[in-house]
Amino acid sequence: MSPMTPDTAVLTEGLTKFYGSRRGIEELDLAVHAGEVMGFLGPNGAGKTTTIRLLLDFLRPTRGHAVVLGLDPRRDKAALHSRIGYLPGELTFPGRERARDLLRFLADLRGGVPWSRIGDLADRLQVDLAHPVRTMSKGNKQKVGLIQAFMHEPALLVLDEPTSGLDPLMQQEFLGMVRDARTAGQTVFMSSHVLAEVQEVADRVAIVRDGRLAAVERVESLGRRAVRSVEIHFADPVAADEFAGLPGVSGVSVTGPVLRCTVDGRLDPLVKAAARHEVVDLLSSEPDLEETFLSFYYHSEGDRDGARADA
Amino acid sequence: MVPALMRKTWRDDRRAILGWAAGVAAFTAVYSAFYPQFQGAAELKQDALPKGVLDFLGVADFLSPAGYLQASIFGLLGPLLVLMCTVTVVARTIAVPEEGGGMELLLANPVSRTAFAGQRLAAAGLAVTAVAAIPWLLLMVIVPAVDMDIPLSSVAAAGFGLVALAWCFGGLAFLVGAATGRRASVLAVTGIVAVATYMANAVSGMAQGWSWLRWWSPFHYFLGTDPLRTGWHPGSLLVLVLAGAVAVVAGVILFDRRDVGV
Repeated sequence: MSPMTPDTAVLTEGLTKFYGSRRGIEELDLAVHAGEVMGFLGPNGAGKTTTIRLLLDFLRPTRGHAVVLGLDPRRDKAALHSRIGYLPGELTFPGRERARDLLRFLADLRGGVPWSRIGDLADRLQVDLAHPVRTMSKGNKQKVGLIQAFMHEPALLVLDEPTSGLDPLMQQEFLGMVRDARTAGQTVFMSSHVLAEVQEVADRVAIVRDGRLAAVERVESLGRRAVRSVEIHFADPVAADEFAGLPGVSGVSVTGPVLRCTVDGRLDPLVKAAARHEVVDLLSSEPDLEETFLSFYYHSEGDRDGARADA
Repeated sequence: MVPALMRKTWRDDRRAILGWAAGVAAFTAVYSAFYPQFQGAAELKQDALPKGVLDFLGVADFLSPAGYLQASIFGLLGPLLVLMCTVTVVARTIAVPEEGGGMELLLANPVSRTAFAGQRLAAAGLAVTAVAAIPWLLLMVIVPAVDMDIPLSSVAAAGFGLVALAWCFGGLAFLVGAATGRRASVLAVTGIVAVATYMANAVSGMAQGWSWLRWWSPFHYFLGTDPLRTGWHPGSLLVLVLAGAVAVVAGVILFDRRDVGV
């Protein structure tokens, strides 16, 4: 067992969970530093929620162990959970009460939270707490879930897919809350299957795939490597070989006046080349995690900073 | 000061609890208060049904006040209602929120698993006890009011027996819910055990060589001592209470050890 330093908020060593013979996660070694925002990325079914539920002691590891805020998730559950704010990935609220009464109850369980703090969070997220939670839309339920996770200003926020159901404006508001939490010295560990939303606030991201930790990267280094798929509609047909040789551009295909390709890194060379023609439309889609991940693997073997991989 | 989790449990379950309480109260009041009017009909029933059938239904006779109360309230319908209430309410301590997903938010708060299970069960247990005690409390008033000739201490013994029976099966229901987290398992196991042990108790009284079966039936410890005629039998009642307590302790231990919400 390696020593738990005060600046490590979450440490897992060889953390493994099998559900019978089905794999949850395998041999996960992960360290989240105190005060950082770490994004926890992976495709659906990769083991993100399993990891989070192990940290919260809903699940017990098959092998290995986790140390959270210096405490043992099982033995010190009550003490640990008073310092954690948790947002479940599948958010279901117990009971039929109004949101206000439910939050008051959850605050009581924590020994009391100033109501002004709950009110401030509700104002910030623009949610009316006078309605029963059961009747709320998915987005508003998610906001109530976020309020209960943030309201007691916990040392560690564990958020499972926090932006799901939020509209873009509220996603920005949420990201602001995460930044404020970091400023206040709180640690945030949030999972997502979309790189873009994590990229904006996270200091580092950990990527899981098929139950194993594939990489831990500083966000800047992932961003540089980001792959986009780009589609350009020209006024007139263009030739593919005009674009095929550009730096970072690959997978060029041309159908009449429409060019499709993927761009790894900066868009500038492609845009400059395209500008020689009359451009009707330009579509660039955010890289999905799988593409980023694959490009990460194909282009960066042996040149990762701070990365650990056991795949 | 009642813990927040217990108050929340009562708030979430209050409709079910109030519904069962009203049902059990109406049932008790109607059957017992109409004792004078049932007298004529009871004689007919007594003559119409063979002795074996009466034994199977746990009915010694319809004519005496004790026989009437046993047949109408304590023999079958009373336990049936109270146990249905017990099982459905106790299923909501762990199994129902675990299947519904609401338990994650409850468990993510600074309470240990043991304290969580204990507080949920304490809240459900108090509610179930209140419902199961309704026949006891009402009969303490109604029995003298309609001139039934039964000592009140015997009524109390039978009434408490029903409460102890609810604790016994409530313990079993809690154990199954705590161990499996599945509502269907709670209902199925507790229901099957209740029906099987009820029949075991009935059969043991009728068939030669099967009398040992009754020692395995909670219903024997509840009614086998004939509390309406013979009063209190603390030993038998203690068996029910202990069986429930053992099941509860086992349930808390198993819940503390397993994965939740898989």
